[in-house]
Amino acid sequence: MPRGWFSVIGVTSVLVIALAGCSSSGSGTGPSAGRTLVVGVTSDPDTLFPWKATQFTAVNVLQNLYGTLTEFDKDLNVVPGLAESWKASDGGRTLTLKLRQGVTFSDGSGFDSDDVKWSLDQIMNPDTAAVARASLSSVKSVTAPDKSTVVLELTGPDAALPANLATINMAMLSTGDTEAKLSTRPNGTGPFTLRSRAASQSITLARNDKWWGADKPKAGALEFRVIPDESSIVAAMQSGNVQLTVLNDPLVARTAQVPGVTVAKTPQLNYHVLQLNARHGDLKDVNVRLAIQCAIDRKQVLDTAALGEGEVVGPITSPAFKSDPARRPCPARDLSKAAEYLGKAGKSGGVTLKTIVSQGEYATSVNEAQNLKAQLAEAKINLDLEVLESGAYVDRWNAADFDAAVALNGGRPDPDGSYGRYFTSQGNFNKVAGYSSPELDKLFADGKATTGQAARKAIYDQVSARLEDDAVWIWLFSGYTYTATTAEVRGFVPMANGSLQYLRATSVG
Amino acid sequence: MRGIVGNRVVRRVASTLGTLFGVAVLVFVMLRAIPGNQITAGLGTEAAGLAPAQLQALERYYGLDQPLITQFFSWLGNLFTGNLGYSARNQQSVLELTLHSLPVTAELAVLSIVLALVIGVPLGTLSASRAGSPRDALGQLVSLAGLSIPSFLLATTLLSVFAASFGFNPNGRGFATLAEDPLLNLQQMVLPALVLGFGIAAPILRTTRAAVLEVRSEDFVRTARAKGVPERRLQVRHVLGNALVPIVTMTGLQFGYLLGGAVVVEQIFSVPGIGRQVLLGIQQKEYAVVQSTVLVIALAFVLVNLLTDAIYRLVDPRVGAS
Amino acid sequence: MTALARRSPAGVAGVVVLAVLAVVAVLSYLGLLPYDPVAQHPPSRFLGPSGAHLFGTDQFGRDVFSRVAAGVGNSALVAVVAVAFATVVGTLGGLVAGFYRGVADNAIGGVTNVLFAFPPLLLALSLASVLARGWFTVAVAIAIVYVPIFIRVTRGPVLSLREIEYVRAAVATGQSRFQIMVRHVLPNIASIVVIQVALSLSWAVLTEASLSFLGLGTPPPAPSLGSMIFEARSLVFVAPWTLIAPGAVVVLLVVGLNLLGDGLRDTLDPRNRGRQ
Repeated sequence: MPRGWFSVIGVTSVLVIALAGCSSSGSGTGPSAGRTLVVGVTSDPDTLFPWKATQFTAVNVLQNLYGTLTEFDKDLNVVPGLAESWKASDGGRTLTLKLRQGVTFSDGSGFDSDDVKWSLDQIMNPDTAAVARASLSSVKSVTAPDKSTVVLELTGPDAALPANLATINMAMLSTGDTEAKLSTRPNGTGPFTLRSRAASQSITLARNDKWWGADKPKAGALEFRVIPDESSIVAAMQSGNVQLTVLNDPLVARTAQVPGVTVAKTPQLNYHVLQLNARHGDLKDVNVRLAIQCAIDRKQVLDTAALGEGEVVGPITSPAFKSDPARRPCPARDLSKAAEYLGKAGKSGGVTLKTIVSQGEYATSVNEAQNLKAQLAEAKINLDLEVLESGAYVDRWNAADFDAAVALNGGRPDPDGSYGRYFTSQGNFNKVAGYSSPELDKLFADGKATTGQAARKAIYDQVSARLEDDAVWIWLFSGYTYTATTAEVRGFVPMANGSLQYLRATSVG
Repeated sequence: MRGIVGNRVVRRVASTLGTLFGVAVLVFVMLRAIPGNQITAGLGTEAAGLAPAQLQALERYYGLDQPLITQFFSWLGNLFTGNLGYSARNQQSVLELTLHSLPVTAELAVLSIVLALVIGVPLGTLSASRAGSPRDALGQLVSLAGLSIPSFLLATTLLSVFAASFGFNPNGRGFATLAEDPLLNLQQMVLPALVLGFGIAAPILRTTRAAVLEVRSEDFVRTARAKGVPERRLQVRHVLGNALVPIVTMTGLQFGYLLGGAVVVEQIFSVPGIGRQVLLGIQQKEYAVVQSTVLVIALAFVLVNLLTDAIYRLVDPRVGAS
Repeated sequence: MTALARRSPAGVAGVVVLAVLAVVAVLSYLGLLPYDPVAQHPPSRFLGPSGAHLFGTDQFGRDVFSRVAAGVGNSALVAVVAVAFATVVGTLGGLVAGFYRGVADNAIGGVTNVLFAFPPLLLALSLASVLARGWFTVAVAIAIVYVPIFIRVTRGPVLSLREIEYVRAAVATGQSRFQIMVRHVLPNIASIVVIQVALSLSWAVLTEASLSFLGLGTPPPAPSLGSMIFEARSLVFVAPWTLIAPGAVVVLLVVGLNLLGDGLRDTLDPRNRGRQ
């Protein structure tokens, strides 16, 4: 994810693309370096410590170095990782995990239940400042009765826990490893190990032949090469220097569609949204929020801001729990309804909302803001846009210092993972979400306590309905991730959560 | 006499140190005035979900819990021991980073200046040789283009033309230093140096033209011409020789700027120079990296100016005598 | 003007280009554009250039000609305010430093040195991100970068003027220093300042464009030439006119200002007098 306005310099190189589109050079003469797969990325990993990694490159590099107890398959179902199986008992208050045998860390030491207990305890310790700490809020204690068994004692049933254990922020470390040590010498159980690193230039991983998976990694090595500019990456793919990349800007992706390069698009879990702060000023009144809900044609936002590259969505974007975007008040724009709601709120004269927008964090933010402003102006709702550099935006967002925020939020495979942290009164993002209700608290608790896909889906449909009927936020659309590969790349599977986990199944040449 | 020279050197050194201290204060204050810190730069909006105890732990980790005045003076004090700070992101000391990036930028700057001189001086002389003629117009046109075309536009155009049409994109391969692979390194430097050189050629061309015009109107040139000195010899030896002073000054000034001003071009061509080091430092809010690197750039700028002054004294007999 | 016409045809060309753009800018201030530059009309997105839309429409169905015109107005406003600020502060600083010497000179010289040694792009970017967003703060950020240039440019001539006979004579007659500065020194550096103003305007336009292009200039939806290029950067296949129109106008504006600056220099610079 490009951070800050400087990265904008990069994305701008239009002409690169323009001319690249006119002619093609096939896959050039560059040294394809045997079986090294070169992945183009726009930035260096900003940390090699998995418990603190949130940046796109860092997450993807670390995913190839470390292992997690559970994993997602390509359809985002939770599948075994370092834990071969798990079972809930005692009415869901105990989760027993059976660990895979014979797994080793890259320093040669064995992986066992002590490492799991130590890792989970460290993640829960606030001094570690692990970003996934809140996902373990239902865990009371961790015990390791024998080398291959771990028992989690929970405050109550937590159906979302297995999915929460699958993120790289829950990576299993070897007992006693520190951030300082791992920053230079990663020590994980993943399919690759660190070979070399040149600051701000590249990071190279070598295949881990001792990895536990049935199919060993195909590529001999992975090189993440830093090319700060998405269009320059496209140019590098044309000259055969880079074989795989993930693009975020739909327009750059369009220009990458030249002979020799294949571009596949995957719908994202991430969603574009106009966040409202229902605890601020005029937005406390549900009727004002509903007026906004009715005054927006979401398809128009998608068409103007992202050239139609995406789909209109409701709150939940995960395929298994997906909300139906037609089931909301005013699924189509209805200005008279909007006026009616404003009247009910006693605001027929109109309202003004202080709205924050980030510039540079992602490509479409400012365009979305401009279109939303134009549409809402017709309903006498004035968005007072504050376009901020990403550092300033993050500060304001984190402090919930806004009436409305144009945002691109990360969606997760499990709806509890996505929204429990926002919309439960105890959620660690509830201040920013600006809304909670006893009813939602109960629904989220039920969702965690219920097992069985169909039953959970029914509960999250209700969550979705509550969020839309109260116009808590204005959900807009989801975009695509574009994976560009050259002809010699085989076996890569893109995932909706943007993960590059299948690099381990990818071969080159 | 020696006392006066010594005095001047002391004052020069004192004023240089003063300037550097000013830069240090300015960069320190400015960085902290920009919203965000290393925690939010690394975690982004995820930082909003941290518990207060976690946030405190991170502030301790990054040294942000210290009072600002302590932060400033401990950084400054460390500089004197050769410790420029540490980049957690790169897992390298700022000194190591700078030892890698400064030579890259210096090389780029030298190549750009050479290209600029190769374009600017002959064209400027040619322009001046017959003011108002078509050849003068050509020179003016080149300098106008150099001044008016933004470098990012030129950079992206060149990159794409060469990558798409000729499959020539050495910058798409891993960067090689001059020592590691001179041939590849020079290929990677050609386009960025061309872009920067073209931009700098304009002021050099203009300075050359003006200086040559000025010198030509002076008495000694007329005298030499009257004496029958051949025209070519006259142009090169007498005119250009005496026009060197302003050209050297302008070249020095531009070289100084290049050390910190090649950011955009370094970014587009993936050249791991010192400009990008500052840029990444700002993005990540790695205060020590930005502070020390900006100070290094300022120091280089000041040194280049001193050097320019020295050369200036060498080439201009009038200055040397006074 | 007649002197300019006699001495520098290029300068005249610059004046003509700028006059045309000035008319456009004035029309935009008066609200006399064919369309509202911020009004969106999605049904007519991405229309090519035609009689109805001279430069076509953009992805929101906005009229590109009207936006370019308003962008010229905004860019000119930012550039003029920035350069005016830099001129006043910088010239004053140069005057004081050169004329009073001593402590004032050292202090001003110190600040100038610091600002010069600071990488300029970085200075502008930092200032723009520290200050709140808006056209005025962009102008201030640009001005601060240019103040030291004006100080440098004026201080030298003031220093030499100080030693000239009639200034010394004025001192001898007991006129106050302020009077001497205003009556005798300022008029004599006016031509240098005027030339510098013309050249700085072109830099200011480019800097404003670059800052907007980097997302730190005039905030949307108000049109600015730089931010228009920024928005259109990825539309080059879909609607090339959205990029070409503001790009060409930026270059035109900068070329016009450079030509004017050159013309003024040829005409006003004392070193050029009596030559040719």
